[in-house]
Amino acid sequence: MAASRTQKEIRQRAPIWLVILLFANFVVMAIDARDRFTQQQAFKGFVQAMVSPIQSASSWASGTSGGFFRQITSFRSTAIENEALKQRLAETELELRNAREAKTENYRLQGLLALKAEPGPEKVFARVIARDASVWFNTIMINRGSASGVALNMPVVTPGGIVGRVVAVSPVTAQVMLITDEKAAAGAIIGQLGGSGALGSVRGLGNSGLIEMRYVSGLQQVEAGDYILTTGQDGIYPPGLNVGEVIEVKHGTATQPHQIYIRPSARLDQLSEVAVLLYHPPQRPAPEQTLPNVDKTKVTSDK
Amino acid sequence: MPQFKIAAVLALAIILQLSLREAWPPLSHIDFPLIVVVYVALQRDAWTALIVGTIAGLAIDAPSGGLIGAGGFSKTLTAYLIYLAATRINLENALIRIPVLAAAAVVDGAIYFFWQRSLGHAPSAPFVQTISYNLIGTTVIGTFILYMLDSVFNPTSSQRRQFASRRRGARRSKGLTKRR
Repeated sequence: MAASRTQKEIRQRAPIWLVILLFANFVVMAIDARDRFTQQQAFKGFVQAMVSPIQSASSWASGTSGGFFRQITSFRSTAIENEALKQRLAETELELRNAREAKTENYRLQGLLALKAEPGPEKVFARVIARDASVWFNTIMINRGSASGVALNMPVVTPGGIVGRVVAVSPVTAQVMLITDEKAAAGAIIGQLGGSGALGSVRGLGNSGLIEMRYVSGLQQVEAGDYILTTGQDGIYPPGLNVGEVIEVKHGTATQPHQIYIRPSARLDQLSEVAVLLYHPPQRPAPEQTLPNVDKTKVTSDK
Repeated sequence: MPQFKIAAVLALAIILQLSLREAWPPLSHIDFPLIVVVYVALQRDAWTALIVGTIAGLAIDAPSGGLIGAGGFSKTLTAYLIYLAATRINLENALIRIPVLAAAAVVDGAIYFFWQRSLGHAPSAPFVQTISYNLIGTTVIGTFILYMLDSVFNPTSSQRRQFASRRRGARRSKGLTKRR
């Protein structure tokens, strides 16, 4: 009897709990939305710091599961061969895979070392600990945060080129929006800086993994294979960083701009180590606010 | 239902959701936490379903690029809707659970997208395409996972199913001997 009464009470109170929980979620959403608007990101940073151990665990788990899937593939390919050959082949494959992984890691680390030696802003090297858990956004999580000097809007690069910019920071982690996200953009130039290259703006194309360059006049000469660099005019990325290579151009006319598709030069699908540039863009002088036809001496004397 | 088992299954689902995308990106279309939320809601335990929905949503929101709370909101509401349906209709049948999972995937995705868009953070992924993939992935894999969860949480129900199949077999053989 007592149990049934409890069940009845639970059933009656369920809508109240629902409203309380929905309201709590809504408050969290509103705080997060406001933080993004004011660029503070304090709340998100706090939550991300809380969940970073779980992400590290999941990163380890994904490495293990990736190894498991790779092993399944290798088993399937060797299943058709005889038993002795299968064993030898598996051993050789394992050795080869280890050697390849070591070689790839070596190349990657050499690239990062070269990046460190390059002149320019100071760099903080970080490991990618997670990719966006939802299917709706193109972000990654790295294991360096404000404690290492990482701040909002700092550019993230690999030896290949730009990766994206920091959009949220906690003391120990940072969230990076990839350049392929539809909301990501950067000022860009085709070809060498200081040459006759056309200026434009690059923008991500979402899950296709490509970038589009916009606002390039249809009269400019652009061909597949041209490379794209940052201009530094966006106030986020320093000038001269590699963005990618033009893979397709839909030529425009005198009145229509070109449609240019670019493959990012950084391997965004295989990111494991990145560098955050501790870059502070130069301050721009504030534009003159006074009206052009006002007698300035009079305005000063009135004050 | 033992609470620690639910907590363990939920933690496993969250870790799977966070890690499988790195192994193979299309696996991210299977919403493991949502499957657990649906299972708990089908047990007609309102309080647990709501809490599991909120925790699952917030845990996935934190490392994602979206707003924190949007997933918590959508999964809590989805859990309550399924709980409401389960208290009014018999959803014990494994076949009926398939449309329930599909509906949960659509409702959850639609509410999530609505809040992100309403608060000025519209996701970059196309809505219809993403919802469709989520629906397929979550429904297909979720049907098997619900069956597995049934045997983890409620071994008597799987025994009952075994007895039922034996009874059916016995009835069939009885019918055959009568006809002879």
